[in-house]
Amino acid sequence: MAVTQLAAPPAPPTPATKKSPTAAPLALVLRRVGTLLITLFFASLIVFFSRFVLPGDPARFLLRGRSPKPEALAEITKQFGLDKPPIEQYFTWIGGILHGDWGRSLTYRQSVSDVLLNRLPVTLELVALAAVFITGLGLIAGMLASLNKGGWDRFILITVTAAGAIPPFVAAIVLTALFAVQLGWFPSFGSGDEGPSRLWHLTLPALALGVTFIAFMARVTRSSMNEQLTREHVEVATSRGLTRSSVVFRHVLRNALGPILTVSGVLIAGLLVSSAIVEQTFGLTGIGQLLVQSIDRLDFAVVQAIVMIIVTAFVLANTVVDLIQPLIDPRIAAGTESR
Amino acid sequence: MSKLLEIDQFTLHFPGRGALLNEVSLHVDDGEAVALVGESGSGKSLTTRAALGLFPETSRLSGSVKVQGLDTTSAPAAKLLQLRRNRASMIFQDPRAGINPVRTVGDFLTETLVRWRGLSREESVERAITQLEQVGLRRTKEMMRQYPHQLSGGMLQRVMIAAALLDSPELLLCDEPTTALDVTTQAGILELLREQQQARAMGMLFITHDLNLAASLCDRVYVLRKGEVVEHGAACDVFLSPQADYTRQLVGATPRIELDKVPTAPAADGTMPLLSVKGLGRRYELPGGEMLTALNDATFTLAPGGSLGVVGESGSGKSTLARMIVALETADEGELAINGRVRAPRPLRARERKLLAKDVQIVFQDPYLSLDPRIAVGKAVADVFRLHQGQGRADAVQSARELLERVGIGPERFESKPRALSGGQRQRVAIAKALAARPKLLVLDEATSALDVSVQAQVLELVEEVREQLGLTILFVTHDLAVVSRLCAELLVLQQGQIVEQGPTAKILSAPTSDYTRTLLDSRPRALWEEQPA
Repeated sequence: MAVTQLAAPPAPPTPATKKSPTAAPLALVLRRVGTLLITLFFASLIVFFSRFVLPGDPARFLLRGRSPKPEALAEITKQFGLDKPPIEQYFTWIGGILHGDWGRSLTYRQSVSDVLLNRLPVTLELVALAAVFITGLGLIAGMLASLNKGGWDRFILITVTAAGAIPPFVAAIVLTALFAVQLGWFPSFGSGDEGPSRLWHLTLPALALGVTFIAFMARVTRSSMNEQLTREHVEVATSRGLTRSSVVFRHVLRNALGPILTVSGVLIAGLLVSSAIVEQTFGLTGIGQLLVQSIDRLDFAVVQAIVMIIVTAFVLANTVVDLIQPLIDPRIAAGTESR
Repeated sequence: MSKLLEIDQFTLHFPGRGALLNEVSLHVDDGEAVALVGESGSGKSLTTRAALGLFPETSRLSGSVKVQGLDTTSAPAAKLLQLRRNRASMIFQDPRAGINPVRTVGDFLTETLVRWRGLSREESVERAITQLEQVGLRRTKEMMRQYPHQLSGGMLQRVMIAAALLDSPELLLCDEPTTALDVTTQAGILELLREQQQARAMGMLFITHDLNLAASLCDRVYVLRKGEVVEHGAACDVFLSPQADYTRQLVGATPRIELDKVPTAPAADGTMPLLSVKGLGRRYELPGGEMLTALNDATFTLAPGGSLGVVGESGSGKSTLARMIVALETADEGELAINGRVRAPRPLRARERKLLAKDVQIVFQDPYLSLDPRIAVGKAVADVFRLHQGQGRADAVQSARELLERVGIGPERFESKPRALSGGQRQRVAIAKALAARPKLLVLDEATSALDVSVQAQVLELVEEVREQLGLTILFVTHDLAVVSRLCAELLVLQQGQIVEQGPTAKILSAPTSDYTRTLLDSRPRALWEEQPA
């Protein structure tokens, strides 16, 4: 009879396991946001002071072509606050950013915010469209490869490996030659007007921008799903009579999302950086193109602002990914981690 | 009686390789419990999965597997779905791996109900809760919202059983459903399975590697070896008078508590104990900030040449104790002395660790994980000789050859990588590696739990042999009382970090004084024919 008594299971969750799910979320969010702020602070230090390491005097650059009269030079230096000690310049700069003032562009002679606001929408739309292609095409290709062993898998894997090796500017040229010049389906230049026209103009650039990442995403999806497919819980689901599609969506794809999401976070930065090349090729007036020009003209205020935006986007994306992970895998929230 | 499951001349193989299952024939009648016994690689899992039409990809089949007349080897996919949904359910070995960790228990239970039973969400939740209560779980409403990692292994296995029963199957397939569980938990699950099987008059096919389990649950037994049925018959007959050589060997290797064969401790001669532990304790901080006492106030001594068994269930602190003895963990309190030398209460320095390793060696549970997959076994052992005996390259290789020979690994295996060896051979190599340091104390942490019974018997024999030949002192950590009874003169029973009983093994096993030890002894599966004396 002792056995029957034992059959009654031990009292469910001990206080320790019960406590964590309620206390964890807020603490987790606060910790992540704290990390985010610290990261941004250090990033701002590096972004700002790296200009003092670079050769070239911005004031002198402005007066290019003219005889640099010492007085004029001094005046411009003073006008842009370049004569103050670096630390003071940093605090003026960072204080300005916190108030929404990113300083003045040396070349455009207007506030950096205005310059950026004109350019940012195009880049964001480009990146967003590329992200849609990446998740859409990448996920589908990865799933197809993972679920169809043999011919399909090999075909997709080879295609994806080849596509992954194409740099964005090559992809841009090939896509333009094919779809814009030969077939004439898409425009080859400019960002068009707001609305559908913009979408039409951005399709080729977004594909060119995304091609490497689509390949990357497909690979990650494929391997992550392959790993889940061999798990016992998938076999259990099948043994209970679930249809193939239920098994795939409820038990394979859902569980495979973790690694896919982690990779997506890292991709964001890559997209923003690569957008410089693609914008240049397709003549889009986005911040990527602006970045290239500004570096060329030693327009540090603009360069710093753009780099800060990219860094912030990157850190923010990864923080969001970190915060979503526990929702996808509850074991992460409990601190037991997946394994 | 009609045949519920009928497997006839079923053969399964991969192109270009030998058959994994060779003309297997077996049948399960309505309401009958049948066991399929075999060691790892015998094909017992493949056989059971075949009943659900789950075949490995690219495998070739012949013969037939019929469930109520439906041949799963040729049935169309739609029929197979119907079979899995309505007529046959399977309970898997490891509930922690078998239930999707990112979905709630409630989701797992109701996903089949809402999909094709035409129940609303509320109805299926209600049904699931009733079922959970029926399998002996409490606080079921909360449980529906919990995730698998928040439940214990035993509770999860009950959830798995509840899920299988929800489909009210006529055939229940059990794939080693208690292997991942503790003895006392196992006893509860077995009782539940027996109860449900009889109440619902289900046919049951129970896979196990443990003859004792088979005997405690099933009327008939099939013994499977390398894909072939070598013997079948009434459980009682197969167990008591096995016909096939293999079955005889299996019965012989199955550990049993035989009090007259328990080794006795060497007479106390007043020498200093080899290992002396006083008030040893270890605590861990849990993620929630709470403290978990893994081991509390452990005090015992072990004389040179002695053998001590440390028995307990998971979470009892037995592995923590073993790890502290070999200095993989540092005690929070208490004193640990080896050979009279008291251990400093801090993580050891590299030099101290090397010195300790000459006296104390450990063999871990899983030889698949404890050997470096890239180092040939001969070199692995030779390296120990070079490190601890200061031998030159050639000498070390010679010594390694001799030692491996002695533990039953021939010279032809000297250059093999661990993956080319079987589980038993790997564990022999692991033991040889430990012995190469010529330790005085050998700690075996569940060293035979991952092995098949027949292999376990051989490894235990080896340990007995080297103990006698080398005068080793042994500390054997295990959950299996039968294994301890064979190897250890003294016994220490741990429960949740506390020593609840210690003393000579024979005395504790014949007349346990603590309730917990008694529970452990009672939880051991007992054959059906022993329970109902004529």
